[in-house]
Amino acid sequence: MRIIQNFFDSQRKHFVKGGKWEKYYPIFEATETFFFFPDHVTRTGPHIRDSLDLKRFMSLVILALMPPLFFGIYNAGCQSNLVSGMSPDFFPAFTRGLSIVMPLIIVSYTVGFFWEFLFAVVRKHSISEGFLVTGLLFPLTLPPTLPLWQAAVGISFGVVIGKEIFGGTGRNFLNPALTGRAFIFFAYPGKMSGDTVWTVMASVKAGAADAFSGATPLAVAAVTDAYGSTEAALTKAGFTFSTLFWGRHPGSIGETSAFLCLIGAILLMLLGIASCRIIIGGVLGVLSAGFLLNLAATENSLPFLSLNPAYHLVMGGFAFGITYMATDPVSAPGMNTAKWVYGFLIGSLTVFIRVLNPAYPEGVMLSILFMNVFAPLLDHIEIKAKLRKRIANV
Amino acid sequence: MIAIKVKKGYDFKNIAGQPALEAEKPGKPACVAALPEKIPFIKPRLRVEVGDSVKIGSVLFEDRRNPAVRFMSPGGGEIAQINFGPRRIIKEIVIRLAENEAQAEFDALSEKALEQIERDKLVAMLLDGGMWPLIKAFPFRDIADPAAVPPAIFVSLGAKEAFQPAPEVYLNGKKNLFGYGIKILQKLTQNVYAGAAADNPNVLKELRENITHVFKGAYPADDPGVLLYHIKQSSSENRSWYIAGQDVLLLAQFLMTGAYPVERTVAVGGTSAPKKKHFITRIGVPLAHLAPGVNGDVRFTAGGILRGYAASKDGYLGLYETSVTLLPESGEKELFGFARPGFEKPSYSRAFLSFFNTSALPANCNLHGDGRACINCGACAEVCPVDILPQFAFKCVLADEVEESLQHGLLDCVECGLCSYVCPSKVEVCTILKKAKAAYYKETGVK
Repeated sequence: MRIIQNFFDSQRKHFVKGGKWEKYYPIFEATETFFFFPDHVTRTGPHIRDSLDLKRFMSLVILALMPPLFFGIYNAGCQSNLVSGMSPDFFPAFTRGLSIVMPLIIVSYTVGFFWEFLFAVVRKHSISEGFLVTGLLFPLTLPPTLPLWQAAVGISFGVVIGKEIFGGTGRNFLNPALTGRAFIFFAYPGKMSGDTVWTVMASVKAGAADAFSGATPLAVAAVTDAYGSTEAALTKAGFTFSTLFWGRHPGSIGETSAFLCLIGAILLMLLGIASCRIIIGGVLGVLSAGFLLNLAATENSLPFLSLNPAYHLVMGGFAFGITYMATDPVSAPGMNTAKWVYGFLIGSLTVFIRVLNPAYPEGVMLSILFMNVFAPLLDHIEIKAKLRKRIANV
Repeated sequence: MIAIKVKKGYDFKNIAGQPALEAEKPGKPACVAALPEKIPFIKPRLRVEVGDSVKIGSVLFEDRRNPAVRFMSPGGGEIAQINFGPRRIIKEIVIRLAENEAQAEFDALSEKALEQIERDKLVAMLLDGGMWPLIKAFPFRDIADPAAVPPAIFVSLGAKEAFQPAPEVYLNGKKNLFGYGIKILQKLTQNVYAGAAADNPNVLKELRENITHVFKGAYPADDPGVLLYHIKQSSSENRSWYIAGQDVLLLAQFLMTGAYPVERTVAVGGTSAPKKKHFITRIGVPLAHLAPGVNGDVRFTAGGILRGYAASKDGYLGLYETSVTLLPESGEKELFGFARPGFEKPSYSRAFLSFFNTSALPANCNLHGDGRACINCGACAEVCPVDILPQFAFKCVLADEVEESLQHGLLDCVECGLCSYVCPSKVEVCTILKKAKAAYYKETGVK
């Protein structure tokens, strides 16, 4: 510990005012505070402060992301080995998964941190911890076959356009990770359209990665042609409710297991990091929208309408999105009732987009981004109503 | 007694170093001091010079905004030093105490005479005796305007803030004095409200006839501003006055004896304090007298860890402050501090294992992080006792939206400091709101 401390102390002189790398102080600061809690003391009252800081806050989100991350790595490898005719056992699958997922994560962090550093150095502010989460969330929303250069373009768009041009963390109104994903979604639909999913396939001859594509559960559900048979069609395609819940099916890296997202959600709610209003509101939104569509379903309507609403909770990226994306405090509303509405509308819009809009099989990303835009309005309405009740004091 | 429930707030009961309930009388200090710098808003004009001899209760300085408001010497002897700060602000007037201190004489007022006296005469007596500055006015917490009649006066017994003197200690044996003090206040206005904590049955029993409100809730439920916020019916009550429980005793003692009272019960606490207990001492006492022999990196705060000021080791206690808290500065770096389980880190949040730790935890003056942008987590709104939305209000202030910040209840702010305490981005929310209030006051001149 002393050695690390001495190293930082000896290097500090280059980065402080007058040093040769004065401009790069934010980089030094970010690295040092990663190792050491800063020694700053309070300058004005209150003289004591809470132990919680943003680094802790964000590291807890990362902790909660670990279950979907590890399962995502295993599952990506497992699915790949299955279609390539190799062993689906745990160790080969996990190592295979590592070789698929790690490059995406590394690219996401490297490119993203490059932009973070650049903006911090130019704007002369310290580097915010928010990106630690964004940089991990982003690759988990991607299909495993996405070319690395597209991941780099996506995270660049997410960080620069989604966050930094508005002033950085705390001032962005869109979730940066989802903004990046939305960019790839619309710019390169061939690689992530939502109706087919890509699994990495090891080509025996050349050794280069090839890909195999299959329909996602959402696409299967959308094209079912007989009334009331959607669940049966899903089961026939290999997507039983329990497969979808436990997550052993192809999909974007982090999204497949609703169970592990549920664990993450419970952890985040217990720690008080994520708002339970948003998460529960979202689940209620999905169930009530699904139920409403059930009521509207007839023999002649779209068969997808009659799908059991519980399926919507475990299909696609809803569980992942509502747990980790919708609860980003910066882009979510700050008022309590507004959070309920926000969560509820994310859930119900997800279902409406999935079922009623044939252009987009998946609706979570779009509904979260859409509600991000409306979050300030929801806050505004609730604040106005609340302030009206105050006894004026001027 | 009307029951009030204050839902928001935060209890600091689990912080180590609480003062014991026993009281000690330390010896007489060599010097005492008056600190004009620590009295908000006043513009002091000195009435003494270095070398002058003063009695207990002679005028030291007056407020240039209203020269009738005078501040008296808390000791008898000789003016030893007058220390100035930047821009010639008067920091300290130090009085070296004589062996036998002389007392300035004022008129005493028996309980019967009090019933008959006219309000104007009473106000004049209080102004004359230098007691007036003990009465303060909402919402800016300036000294009350002697020419005004307030809609109500709030008395706060005040012990919900960690490390403040407990009412059962300073009221011990002074029940009648307190009752007399309340009668004085009743002369000044019709409505005198005194609030006491529901979890303090002794005080409730002792002062039964003088307590009007019983509140349940965490810090700062005892604050008179919180009481005002929770019982006010219309905005006409916003300009009420308030006075601290100990100062009611001073008022009563002054009128009963005709001598300027200087006794103060001071709570000394914090993990670095040598003796963690109550001291029955006097106004303007040197801090080192209450906590002798403290060395190392220790911060002395006078008037509470949340609202008080940081004083130097050889500083003095101000007129209004009744507590001295000593906490380690703790400018240490901690390896991988953010990833530790934190079994011993006190926190409002549930993000540390200390959530399960019920024993008293050590606190220090470390910022526990670095200044970051607000991420709208809303923790400040969860603790604000007067339902301000600090995360939105402070942004209104920073954007110079004065009207909007007033609508948000800026003037209801009781300056408790909880919003700054809980902020994970370490935004100085309370300081921002406090400064905005003071700026508004100075600019408009409304009282």
